[in-house]
Amino acid sequence: MSVVYSRRLKKELHEIQIEQADPAKRAAGIQLLQAEDLKTWYFSLEVLGESLYKNEIFHLMVRFDTEYPFKSPAVQFVVSDKVKPPVHPHVYTNGHICASILGDDWSPTLSVMAICITIQSMLASCKKKELPEGNDDYVRTAPDNPKKTRFIYHDDTV
Amino acid sequence: MESDKPTVNGPPTQSFPRTYEFPDPLDPRRGDVDEINEYTDIRSLDPARLYELNQNHLDDSVSSTDSLVTDLAPLTTLRSEYDGGADAFKRQIDYLIDQGYVGIRRSRGDGDCFYRSLAFAYIERIFDQEDRKAAVEATMSTLEGFLPKLREAGFEDLVIDDCYEVPRDLVKGIVDPESVSTNGATLTRTQLLEVFRDDSLSDYMVTFMRMITSAQIRGNPEEFESFLTHPDTGGRIGVVEFCQSVVEVLGKEADHVQLTALSQALKVNLEIAYLDGRGQDGRVEFVAFKHASDENETPLTLIYRPGHYDVLDRRSGE
Repeated sequence: MSVVYSRRLKKELHEIQIEQADPAKRAAGIQLLQAEDLKTWYFSLEVLGESLYKNEIFHLMVRFDTEYPFKSPAVQFVVSDKVKPPVHPHVYTNGHICASILGDDWSPTLSVMAICITIQSMLASCKKKELPEGNDDYVRTAPDNPKKTRFIYHDDTV
Repeated sequence: MESDKPTVNGPPTQSFPRTYEFPDPLDPRRGDVDEINEYTDIRSLDPARLYELNQNHLDDSVSSTDSLVTDLAPLTTLRSEYDGGADAFKRQIDYLIDQGYVGIRRSRGDGDCFYRSLAFAYIERIFDQEDRKAAVEATMSTLEGFLPKLREAGFEDLVIDDCYEVPRDLVKGIVDPESVSTNGATLTRTQLLEVFRDDSLSDYMVTFMRMITSAQIRGNPEEFESFLTHPDTGGRIGVVEFCQSVVEVLGKEADHVQLTALSQALKVNLEIAYLDGRGQDGRVEFVAFKHASDENETPLTLIYRPGHYDVLDRRSGE
């Protein structure tokens, strides 16, 4: 199991590093910040062009277990003194993200970069900056790992 | 594609400091939850912790108690499970045995059973061919020929390469030792079974089958879209959404559309024996999907019982 997981992640990391070195291939606004091992990677994410998040930069933390890619990684926005999560109806203030591809709709045909792009486009298409309903309750009781939360996906369009 | 603009308030893009302090996901202070043990009053747990406990319990109870793919067993073993009732099922099993289907190879009931069963039968049948080399070549040409369609369907090259490796090496390995071993031996039926019993290798096979199915549906929307229904609501659903949320996701069961698409893409004759307990005379309805270039080619045969697929075989043991 662990062989497979590291094989896939090494391939993905290699591909990302090639893309990052080549502006023509790089997904605009997505930057690998840190990937020192095959457990936790960090990305910076911004929405280029006109959007509610113009000039804001966010950091994504992506954590893998040995069942990747058959199980989704745990993905959340970083909350620290330096970076805050976006104010978005599907993003809780603890950085947890309610997105179906991170849960029920995860497929091993997706990749880490595909996740980043999906989240970027979720921000790009946002019409109104507001917190999710029940944010405070959720944040108070949320498990550390967002994968342990059973999200209900209210709206498939974002 | 927009060009990269200089960042205004972000970190420097080139030399990101390695000492940057991210919150430590393993910091024990984050949880602040006492250890849960047999003395814990469950009323003291918040809903998230309770859910987690329930989920762990569920995960344990569906864990690997049965093999992903079993050895061939006589179909009479299935018959004995209906002892004490369900005579209609027993009559249907007798009917299948009369037709020469004396063996069953079961797949785990995890929602992937159709794809896993079909993938196994698809590769195993090569061992039955007189000219294995020709059979491997034909199979490889079907699979290789389908790769561009996976790209057209929007799968990333990296994902296609990664998911194609296992099926490619298995099929080639039947005649070419280099892809499966270092000692000059070609793949055996037993090794094929071992691969299908390895959690991740087996899931790679399932994933690749799901990708092919998805690409076939996406590439022929006019043929499939009017038959697509949402598995939960029963309402209409678009091709892309159907593929993304039903076909490409592990654990989601297959229905007529997926069976049609995958048998088309693999160019095989597939038949499904529906064991539905209906009909007084014990006859079993076979639904045939004929997509091999030769319509008389021996079909891959699966047996369907409500919610589950296994492989039917004319042999009763390995």
